[in-house]
Amino acid sequence: MTEYDVLIVGAGPGGSVAAKVAAESGLKTVFFERGRKSGEKNSSGCGLGPRMWREFPELMKTLTTEVAPNLRKAACVINHYLNKDLEEIALEMYYPTESVTYEPAKQFITMNCYRSEFDPWVAGQAVAAGAEQRTSVLIKDLVKDDKGKVIGVQTSKGEKIYGKVIIGADGVISTVAMRSGLNPRWRPEQITLVPQYDFAAPPEKIDKMYGPDGLLADAADGIWWGVNFPSAYQVIFGDGFHIGLGSWMGQWTANPLSYLNTLVSCKPFQRMIKAIDAKPREVQAHLLPWTVKPIKTYTDNVMLIGDAGGFPCPLEAEGVFPAMETGKLAAETAIKCLADGNTSKEALKLYEEKWKKSSVGVEFEAGESLQTLWKNLFFSTQSEENNMEWFIPLWHEIRGGHYDWSEPHIVRFRQIVRKVQEYLPQAMKFVTKYAVPVLSDIMQEDLSMFPQMIKFLETMRPKKKTK
Amino acid sequence: MKIELKELSQHVGDTGDFIKLNVEKCNGCGHCATVCVMNLWLLRGGKAQLKEEYKQKCLECAACFSVCDIGAIDFSYPAAGTGVVYLKG
Repeated sequence: MTEYDVLIVGAGPGGSVAAKVAAESGLKTVFFERGRKSGEKNSSGCGLGPRMWREFPELMKTLTTEVAPNLRKAACVINHYLNKDLEEIALEMYYPTESVTYEPAKQFITMNCYRSEFDPWVAGQAVAAGAEQRTSVLIKDLVKDDKGKVIGVQTSKGEKIYGKVIIGADGVISTVAMRSGLNPRWRPEQITLVPQYDFAAPPEKIDKMYGPDGLLADAADGIWWGVNFPSAYQVIFGDGFHIGLGSWMGQWTANPLSYLNTLVSCKPFQRMIKAIDAKPREVQAHLLPWTVKPIKTYTDNVMLIGDAGGFPCPLEAEGVFPAMETGKLAAETAIKCLADGNTSKEALKLYEEKWKKSSVGVEFEAGESLQTLWKNLFFSTQSEENNMEWFIPLWHEIRGGHYDWSEPHIVRFRQIVRKVQEYLPQAMKFVTKYAVPVLSDIMQEDLSMFPQMIKFLETMRPKKKTK
Repeated sequence: MKIELKELSQHVGDTGDFIKLNVEKCNGCGHCATVCVMNLWLLRGGKAQLKEEYKQKCLECAACFSVCDIGAIDFSYPAAGTGVVYLKG
């Protein structure tokens, strides 16, 4: 009977990093992929943030266009605001601000890399470190001892494979999480469905618009904010781009793709694809945990990492960095606990302590307030209280109202203030309910007085225009 | 812009049956039909029905399984090395 020290179910970025770290320390390590190779079942999480370069400097410095030909730097996020008639009423571009503290975060917001290029590359790093990768293997069940403790896995062909530590890196619908009892089932408010299109476009056309010397220099990340669809993201690569959106399971009232089709069909989007000569190339969909906090992530001999543990960040549900970071921490925990000869749940609690202290855990300090705010604004478009209906025109008024020569400026400012005040009852209700808790978490202060200050602002009125 | 989905996903091998509906349990709520991006669920006579062609079209997102409150849908992944392949995921 073969027994591995560390057995990892899943060979995405998280499972591969766990395998690499475990193998580098000399542990006998195997990791499984249900596809024919890593990455062929994955379709999102393509914007790699600078924290990866900070946490995994040796690994990430070797990610170049030689190994990932369609890698593209996004130094700027471009925001498209669409009104209820799907007309573009504002466009904003933001590069990293002065408060960003380290390199390479000053240089880019994300490096965009297709998962079909990224995942096999990370898996290759694990194999180079001595881990054994088994592809086209579907893990269907766990093997338990007579006390119910997990001691191995069983493939769809009935093969049993044993391991001292089992790491569940098998994504949102995780056999390890379900069969170990750590997560029998997600609740609808914990998971989102994300439909996405990939569009192909000639690299030179993309460069002309979004390349380093393009019109919108390095604006290779985009957000489309709208009233009629959940906010959508655009991620631009070397020879194409993704456009996708998501929302929680209980919130869909029509086919999720129909919302994406609404966006893709609108004039501003059509102008963009015409400018770069883009054409639909692939349709993709996946589930994504988007929770206010991770689930319980360990039990006897078992740890869950990445999506399986509910680790995508609570604000934007970015999951690749959390998967890699928790993969590393789970492997480090396995190394320590195997050396001590104790992989019980009491010993593996170390994993939870580690991730809570890590960059990933810190994300969840304000998980609830951040997510509640985000969810009730940008993803409220299918609910009765569609807050984008007032948010978009309000934002437009505040940011753009003064670009106007229709009246003397002071008259314009009064018009703007009056218009803004029309939206204040809804906006202030929203601010009090959802924004104050976030502000309170940011400032680490009790801000229960804040709504009264707002109330004061609300009662101020410019005097009526006198003749 | 009408996007023709059938040209936009690749599938390999014989997946076997990997989604099963327990017709007895199904209450015909239609949530599965609402969330299926590829429109692979129908409602017939107050019950959900999975189209025959799902093995060649399903994107394996498991939304139908996750949205079925009463647990009438069983989802297990396609046979190893088969099913949808994303070339640009």
